[in-house]
Amino acid sequence: MTILEELERIVGRENVSGDPAITAAYSRDQHWTFVPPKNPAFVVRPGTKEEIRDVLMLANREKTPVIPWSTGINIRGMTIPTQDGSIMLDVSRLNRIVELNPEMMTATIQPGVTFGMLVEASKKHGLRPAFPDAPLTVSAVTNNYLRGIYQTSPRDGLDHILSFEIILPNGETLQTGSRLLKRDLPYFRYGPGPEIASLFIGGPGTWGVVTELTLKLYRIFEHQKIYYVGFDDLEKPIDLIDRVNREELVSSCRFVDTIHWLPPYLGTFDYEYETLPEFVVAMVVENQDRIFQAQDQIVQSYIAKSGGKILDLPQDLADNLKCEMLGAETSPMIFGFKGNFYCVGYYGPLNLLPKYYQDFKENALKIGFDAKDISFYANTIARFHGQSTYYELEIYFDSSDRKSVEMLRTLHARTVTNLLETGIYGWFRPYAGVIEPTLERIGNFTEYWKKLQNLIDPNGIMNPGKVF
Amino acid sequence: MEKISEDVLLRAISHCFKCKLCAIADFHGMGEEWLAICPSGSYYGFNSFYSPGRFEVLREVLNGEIDCGTEMLVKVAFACQLCGACYERCKEVSKVELDNAELFEELRSILAERGWLLDAHVRIREDVERTGNAYGEDERVEYPSSGDEVIYFVGCTARYREREISDAMVRVLDASGARYTVLGDEWCCGSPLLRTGQRDAASRLIEHNAGEISKIGAEKMVFTCPGCLKTFKESYPDLGVELLHASEYINDLVSEGRLQPGKLEITLPYHDPCHLGRHLGIYDAPRETLELIGVRVMELSRNRGNAWCCGSGGGVKSGFPEFATWTADERVKEIRATGSDVVASACPFCKRNLKDSGVRVFDLAELVSQALLRSDRG
Repeated sequence: MTILEELERIVGRENVSGDPAITAAYSRDQHWTFVPPKNPAFVVRPGTKEEIRDVLMLANREKTPVIPWSTGINIRGMTIPTQDGSIMLDVSRLNRIVELNPEMMTATIQPGVTFGMLVEASKKHGLRPAFPDAPLTVSAVTNNYLRGIYQTSPRDGLDHILSFEIILPNGETLQTGSRLLKRDLPYFRYGPGPEIASLFIGGPGTWGVVTELTLKLYRIFEHQKIYYVGFDDLEKPIDLIDRVNREELVSSCRFVDTIHWLPPYLGTFDYEYETLPEFVVAMVVENQDRIFQAQDQIVQSYIAKSGGKILDLPQDLADNLKCEMLGAETSPMIFGFKGNFYCVGYYGPLNLLPKYYQDFKENALKIGFDAKDISFYANTIARFHGQSTYYELEIYFDSSDRKSVEMLRTLHARTVTNLLETGIYGWFRPYAGVIEPTLERIGNFTEYWKKLQNLIDPNGIMNPGKVF
Repeated sequence: MEKISEDVLLRAISHCFKCKLCAIADFHGMGEEWLAICPSGSYYGFNSFYSPGRFEVLREVLNGEIDCGTEMLVKVAFACQLCGACYERCKEVSKVELDNAELFEELRSILAERGWLLDAHVRIREDVERTGNAYGEDERVEYPSSGDEVIYFVGCTARYREREISDAMVRVLDASGARYTVLGDEWCCGSPLLRTGQRDAASRLIEHNAGEISKIGAEKMVFTCPGCLKTFKESYPDLGVELLHASEYINDLVSEGRLQPGKLEITLPYHDPCHLGRHLGIYDAPRETLELIGVRVMELSRNRGNAWCCGSGGGVKSGFPEFATWTADERVKEIRATGSDVVASACPFCKRNLKDSGVRVFDLAELVSQALLRSDRG
């Protein structure tokens, strides 16, 4: 039997294809200026865990690369094949919310569940998931599994995973945390023995296929107030951001440039953004009754001392930041400025923000980018130990213009080198363009990483080329 | 009908961010409900049937990586109603200037040039060439004419399949005292051929109809078929005639006092036809018409720009009947969720497909005609 026939046997003819008219659609993502297009040989759409297991066992036996693909929203080239003959494992049919447990404040979901689906279901119970600043079409499993949810709320923390189930390349199923002792009690991260969940988290489909994941949900507060505070320089806001986070006064805090990042928060292009200060700190204060009032008063006093100016935005627009927190439908608006969007995403301390941005801007200008296309974004995350902040340094460009693309490649290489030299905590995701120079710098860790990878996937079938 | 250059196509494709928000209705605007709006992707599942994936197929066709007209390629290209829901969402959230349906028509046109077409669509072209109508009907259905103030362009479906719509429109025109003409030799507007990539064949139809219309010298043309209206607005030369959907024309007649319909005093859900709503931006006029005749509109979950397609457009009804039926079934579930088994709409093609899925569908013209009877009795 050929591989195609075997796949047809496993998932049924209607759920597998090797026709280029099908495989082409999995060949390229928005990161194509860095990761060239390549078609997989087959696309297979399993409908059950058993079918996923059988596909992995087949691939392992045949030593054929497998690339897990959840809902397909990816801007890092992480699901673009690197080898001929690859199987694209499209798991979007597994889109069931297995359990939403208001008592435990958890959701157990399959990989095809999007954030939009999860927001809708959680809201009925006065709850919400932690939400990334990504379209609500992205997979909640993939985003949590890849490296936490980085933006919604510093109060929520970064890591929302409690436990998961993963099918390994050899077809074995592994459970993590409390699932190990009782499958229907998946609510605790730390089960018996070593905590292997953290070891697996962050692998872009390189350890196996996550088929079920239990994550934390958070309360939706009735009392909520949103502030947009304008600044004309980059240094002054740092103190305000540091204070409100250190004292745990805000549930969301984003430092952005007005022209590029405010439109998605306000949900419209039709506003005179150029009349506003150059930078904006967007903050959400929320809590219950009097606690909220007390917090809000303190925040107001800090804003007054910060040298910033509370922007008088129309209330209906200002309130749209709530949508960002619950589901960032409008985020991709920003990419409409030039047609395409490049960003390098990473974690680092807040106090390095001015240096990160100034270095980036200086490089971009030297290479020839227009100042109006250079942007940044900083979002405090987790408890504020280490001033942990998620960053994006960004360029708006037209990917159909070859010159821009070449300029971008040059800028990217310089930026990655600069950031590694300046010092960052880690990359947002392990993806092409950042992982290679990083592996060179992390000494024997790389060797141990490879050994572990080899232990789990001795035939190297899981998304090869994306890390090693 | 001009071809878009390859460079422009590739540029447009490369601006798609692959966020796939084009596959769901306005989440926050609709009460944070996860509602699909892409019938093709929802039905077939593979990424190629969603806009971002189909763009990549177009890219590979353009650069020659796809060089064989397989059955799957034809399905990917043609199993889409071109309903425009994807572009409606994309333009709203991204400002990227991608008209998805236009790009997909380009894909179809390229395939058609290479002879990679569905037999069903080739048959439509042959029927049109033989009989002048998309259903291949040899016997012409005739209509009265009373003058040259306005031309009523009937269209193939209201003439040969959903006759009650055109009959009702004629009653409305008669009641208003408008002096109207139905073209004696009206040919298919060309929409079915344009939507299925057969542009050359459509040119002859456009030339013929344009000639017939010029002979009349009317100031206005009224359409009960939004597909015909769209085609006239977008693909015909400027004929110096004001082009109006029936709802717009009827509203004018009422406001001018030429038409005095009674009130039906009923509540109905209204289905937005894709050609009328998303493609031409006419959402309010049909609702105003319904209000004028005492029909309270019960909005469906997915309405206006977020409306779910009836399933028949873009050559799907003829090319992929099972998919067309499934799409209509989905809409019918939504209609029935309102507690109604009846729906109002404003397109003969929508009426036909939704009716086939088991609900009663009344076109605006029919409802207005009934309201006129109510007025006569009153």
